Amino acid sequence: MRNAYLNYAGKRLLQAAVVVLLAYVFTFLVVSILPGDPITNVLHDPQNAFTMAQIQEIIEAQGLNDPVALQLWHALSGFVTGDLGLSMRSSRPVATLISEVLPSTLILASSALAVALVLAGLIAYGSQFLPRRFGQGFVRSLPSLFLSVPTFVIGLVLIHLFGFQLGLFMVIDPNSFWATVFASIALGIPISAQIAEVLVANLDNESAQEYAAVARARGLRQTPLFFRHFLKPSALPVVTVVALMVGEVLGGALITETVFGRTGIGNLVQRSVVTQDLPVLQAVVSLAAMVFVLVNLIADLVYPLLDPRVKILGATAVRSSASTSDTASPTVTV
Amino acid sequence: MTISLASALSRKRLHAPFAALGIPPSVALAFIILALVIGWSLVPGLFSGHDPFVGVPADKLQAPSIAHWFGTDQLGRDLYARVVHGTASSVSSALIAVVIGLFVGGLIGLLAGFLGGWVDIIFARLVDVLLAIPSFLLAVIVVTALGFDTINAAIATGVSAVAVFARVMRSEVIKTRQATFVEASFLSGGSRWHILLRHVLPNASRSVLPLAVLRFGLSILVIAGLAFLGYGDPPPASDWGLLISIGKDYMKWPWLIYAPAIAIIATVLSLNRISRWLRKTD
Repeated sequence: MRNAYLNYAGKRLLQAAVVVLLAYVFTFLVVSILPGDPITNVLHDPQNAFTMAQIQEIIEAQGLNDPVALQLWHALSGFVTGDLGLSMRSSRPVATLISEVLPSTLILASSALAVALVLAGLIAYGSQFLPRRFGQGFVRSLPSLFLSVPTFVIGLVLIHLFGFQLGLFMVIDPNSFWATVFASIALGIPISAQIAEVLVANLDNESAQEYAAVARARGLRQTPLFFRHFLKPSALPVVTVVALMVGEVLGGALITETVFGRTGIGNLVQRSVVTQDLPVLQAVVSLAAMVFVLVNLIADLVYPLLDPRVKILGATAVRSSASTSDTASPTVTV
Repeated sequence: MTISLASALSRKRLHAPFAALGIPPSVALAFIILALVIGWSLVPGLFSGHDPFVGVPADKLQAPSIAHWFGTDQLGRDLYARVVHGTASSVSSALIAVVIGLFVGGLIGLLAGFLGGWVDIIFARLVDVLLAIPSFLLAVIVVTALGFDTINAAIATGVSAVAVFARVMRSEVIKTRQATFVEASFLSGGSRWHILLRHVLPNASRSVLPLAVLRFGLSILVIAGLAFLGYGDPPPASDWGLLISIGKDYMKWPWLIYAPAIAIIATVLSLNRISRWLRKTD
């Protein structure tokens, strides 16, 4: 068992490293091979007012005249050793630019995740406890509604209702407490929907199991049944879902930060897109991929330790997405 | 018993026209909304008498009324006309995105699942990489590399959907390939090509179709997001996302945000409902 787990962990770690490196190569190829030439777009843009000497200097510094394969080699070896290169626009190290704005995004992302978990929990609770005729249908349709509203619309509606009408926060002060709260609600709502969908489906599945029928027949009430028996097996797969949501949070931060005027990674991306600052984009996207892969790796490694039903069966490494099977003794292959 | 039977009967009579087709009322409503949206995008002139590009400055920023259903914008243009005329590019670009995702992703999944071996391993890594990059960021860098307009935003959205289609297609193909009837077909002399077209594809399309409808709605959201950030066609185009992005500078006149937002939400909600219904009826 111990040995099998270590084997599995080692294999997953190697796989994750390969995926991160390939993601870097992929983004590099996207930004350098697709049409659209940064030299003419950015450097010769009259708005930037670079002199010819400055342009030459930047081309030298970025190695833009080298063949693509050589550029890739330099960039990739830099990435592996932690050197993310220089911003094309400001000639400052990309790593500095990112670390400056990272805390703001981390605050937003973690509070959004907290909002999402609370909301998903409330929806899941409502789906089991509200009367079938009154409220339950509404609560059950919430995830579908949340997934149909664009993130920026949620943000703007919150700003309109709570910022303009109720005056709870000022849009010009995006780092105030209330502005952060509403930004995290805007970002958290679509994420809560996806967590809630899984949670509700799992709860329904548990509640239809034979043991639940037996427990009910013996007089156990809904509340202890929910908290003592349904919640744990239903909530465990949420670990996997939350890990998958990391990508959504990072993508959503781009929009939410723009709507609320916050500084952060998303705002950095937005500025770099407008100015075609490819080294910054390349770095942010590959770091995002790295974070995503790492979080999912951790989730996959922790999962078998949390859920004793999950057994690692040697070589067949399949991701555990479906958690509960219909059989009496569910065994999930990881 | 009698009461429940009677109420069931009356309910049946109430929904008779849809029940005959086996369509629940909410799905029927979704189809009606979708038909309206398709109408808006095909013949926008038929649905709105106002010009979406020429405004009457004296009438600017009017609240919704009988003359202007969704009110007017900061240049006195009829907002309803702008929403209707923006439908075509908002919806068709999402369609392009889904088609790209469906074909490229479907092909990758089909080859990986059907051929197996090395092809499978290579494609599986590619899909892992595509999944690892947050899909909205992926769309953003692709549209940055291609240049800002709505078609490029559609292509970018399509690229970001490839991995999901590939994954579902692959698992469906593998599931079907192991089925007994496929084995039977193979033993009775069916060629690989025949099995692929006759058995594997139709079976796989059963779960890929609801996914495509779902991704259609999602693509509308992603493209609206890209348009909102200014990566689509510039004004005077009136993509829904762009309309909202303009509206956010005029918060005192909230219908500039709410009207196009409701168009997006109603469309996506309908598509989600239809997708769920398709999944259930299979």
